[in-house]
Amino acid sequence: MSDVVPPEVRPKPAVPAKPPNVGAPSPSSPFPPQGLGVGGGGISAPPPSAIPVPIGSHGPSHGGSHGMGHGVGHGVSHAGSHSGSHSSSAGSTLLGYIGIDTIIEQMRKKTMKTGFDFNIMVVGHSGLGKSTLVNTLFKSQVSRRSAGWARDEKIPKTVEIKSVSHVIEEGGVKMKLTVVDTPGFGDQINNDNCWEPISKYINEQYEKFLKEEVNITRKKRIPDTRVHCCLYFISPTGHSLRQLDIEFMKRLSHSVNIIPIIAKSDTLTTEERQEFKQRVRKELEMSGIEFYPQKEFDEDMEDKSDNDKIREAMPFAVVGSDKEYQVNGKRVLGRKTAWGIVEVENPNHCEFAQLRDFLIRSHLQDLKEVTHNIHYETYRAKRLNENGGLHPISSTDTQESNL
Amino acid sequence: ISQTSEKEYVGFATLPNQVHRKSVKKGFDFTLMVAGESGLGKSTLVNSLFLTDLHKDRKLLNAEERIRQTVEITKHTVDIEEKGVKLKLTIVDTPGFGDAVNNTECWRPITQYIDQQFEQYFRDESGLNRKNIQDNRVHCCLYFIPPFGHGLRPVDIEFMKALQDKVNVVPLIAKADCLTPLEIKKLKERLREEIDKYGIKIYQFPDCDSDEDEEFKQQDKDLKESTPFAVIGSNTVVEARGQRVRGRLYPWGIVEVENPSHCDFVKLRTMLIRTHMHDLKDITSDCHYENYRAQCIQNMTRCVEMMSVFHSPLAPLSPPCVYPAPLQLRRMQQMLQKMQQQMHEQEL
Repeated sequence: MSDVVPPEVRPKPAVPAKPPNVGAPSPSSPFPPQGLGVGGGGISAPPPSAIPVPIGSHGPSHGGSHGMGHGVGHGVSHAGSHSGSHSSSAGSTLLGYIGIDTIIEQMRKKTMKTGFDFNIMVVGHSGLGKSTLVNTLFKSQVSRRSAGWARDEKIPKTVEIKSVSHVIEEGGVKMKLTVVDTPGFGDQINNDNCWEPISKYINEQYEKFLKEEVNITRKKRIPDTRVHCCLYFISPTGHSLRQLDIEFMKRLSHSVNIIPIIAKSDTLTTEERQEFKQRVRKELEMSGIEFYPQKEFDEDMEDKSDNDKIREAMPFAVVGSDKEYQVNGKRVLGRKTAWGIVEVENPNHCEFAQLRDFLIRSHLQDLKEVTHNIHYETYRAKRLNENGGLHPISSTDTQESNL
Repeated sequence: ISQTSEKEYVGFATLPNQVHRKSVKKGFDFTLMVAGESGLGKSTLVNSLFLTDLHKDRKLLNAEERIRQTVEITKHTVDIEEKGVKLKLTIVDTPGFGDAVNNTECWRPITQYIDQQFEQYFRDESGLNRKNIQDNRVHCCLYFIPPFGHGLRPVDIEFMKALQDKVNVVPLIAKADCLTPLEIKKLKERLREEIDKYGIKIYQFPDCDSDEDEEFKQQDKDLKESTPFAVIGSNTVVEARGQRVRGRLYPWGIVEVENPSHCDFVKLRTMLIRTHMHDLKDITSDCHYENYRAQCIQNMTRCVEMMSVFHSPLAPLSPPCVYPAPLQLRRMQQMLQKMQQQMHEQEL
């Protein structure tokens, strides 16, 4: 029993649909010359000029025939607005612009009003600078650290999932950012299956969303707690990935977007960094780990070329900091050492700026869409196929009261 | 935390643009239905609105040929592109509506069509492969009221009431060029009164935000106060006041379709395309479709209840089991199918 679909209802006799009529390209016939009226010699009121000319036809016809349309074409091949006729009169723009491009503006207004959700998870063993990096990314104290977590808190015995939400605003755009931290990951002596609580959490969010979706009375905007992006922190050993790294990413790359990053990369020189990155990429490839942006989801050539460049540069080697220093007359975020100041946003020092641009300025929406259209759908399909399917749940508590 | 300096700039303010970029790539679709008796200028108006030419080869039937006609549903699809934005426009026409001698329930095929699109969407949405769901739901229905009468006729009232919970109904006064401005004003007032009196739920423009500029607010107010729109359409170009415009040439003058003092065409176009297209789609999917879906599910549940009471071969679903076993589900679906079919047949 695979599908759960509402029972098939025999359709009424098929509605006769006329074949799709794509607007015909405009015929190149010019307008028949305007015979009447214009340019009479200086008499008071020139008679109403011109016989009404159906656009695109060859001769005068009576107004009021509804069948004659104007044949200006709207093929997909024509880009941009076009004037309505071939005679280059000023009035033709009146005839040429419909205004459908304004729907973009309508959508924009609406989405600005409702705001956005973004949920980011950070995974990596303690001390890799996860919280600091997230704070640096969003230029605010958004990670768990700020909510009162003491630095010398004990490492938890099992992996915990702690999430903290903040609403941040920029340029009129409101975002509800949720940072999900995973303290305890990789910190035990025996780290077997330490990814399970994480996997469980991710699936629980999908389940929550699914339940809302199949409800009888659905919310207008289903609250989205699904993890859109998982930043996986790789320890900057300079050698290779650890076994745990591979295990984790292998298991979770099919249910969430994983972005591996090399943490605390200020322990690596530029050459060491390059070598390490190459080695890591090779290992990821050999283990068959598809990190975000996944090759298989590139939609078109434009996407592919953009994403190829990014994939080539990943994993980004980053440094995080919430402290500012004065460098060359500017205040920058950085880490001060005896031998110099590591500037977080300096592309020569580390790849933080690249990560930020990629994550926030260009692919934020795409991360959400891949989560919704692919990872969530995979989960949903799996759920629908097991147990014979889902029964739509009424918003009141128990259904048996109706039975 | 609103930021000013570059240093503080995170960059997610670009999010609306990221969304925008994807939407432009995907394109939009919009389904518009036109309903009203023959000869009220529906096709011409659609052509005027979207600068298309959908009915070039149409053959107009004479009265005798029309006697045996029932209401048909015809669809035309046009791809329009403007400034890089693609729109797949579907026009659903309803020839034959109101043309017969006995027009009892002539809206039946229309409501059925709308329901069918909802059902199709419901099925697609509940299915496994949801990647490329096509949205054929009707987003707006322009209903043409003849200008010759003195208000709503019984068929107008019944039609709009039958459709008010399934689609956004926008009533229009057709062929408004046969009325003087005063007559139009009186007719509009009369129509608004009657729409109120009979409790007809037509599409309501949402109130605009308080932070919009004054010009927009005024425009919004004007829009709301001139409903129902009195429209004129034309497929011909005339020369008026030194310009080429769409219009109708009469011996006593020229009617310009896009002249706001001649008719409300521009208002209709602004509302339909330039300011409220997105809202029309939203209301369709958030209200009309959700109502349909909720009802559908409730009907299904009721069938299950009835079955578990009357049909003993099917073991009653044990209360805690919210997810029925595969075999039970198949039997349940088969019986549901039968019952739904019976219900449909009874409706005829």
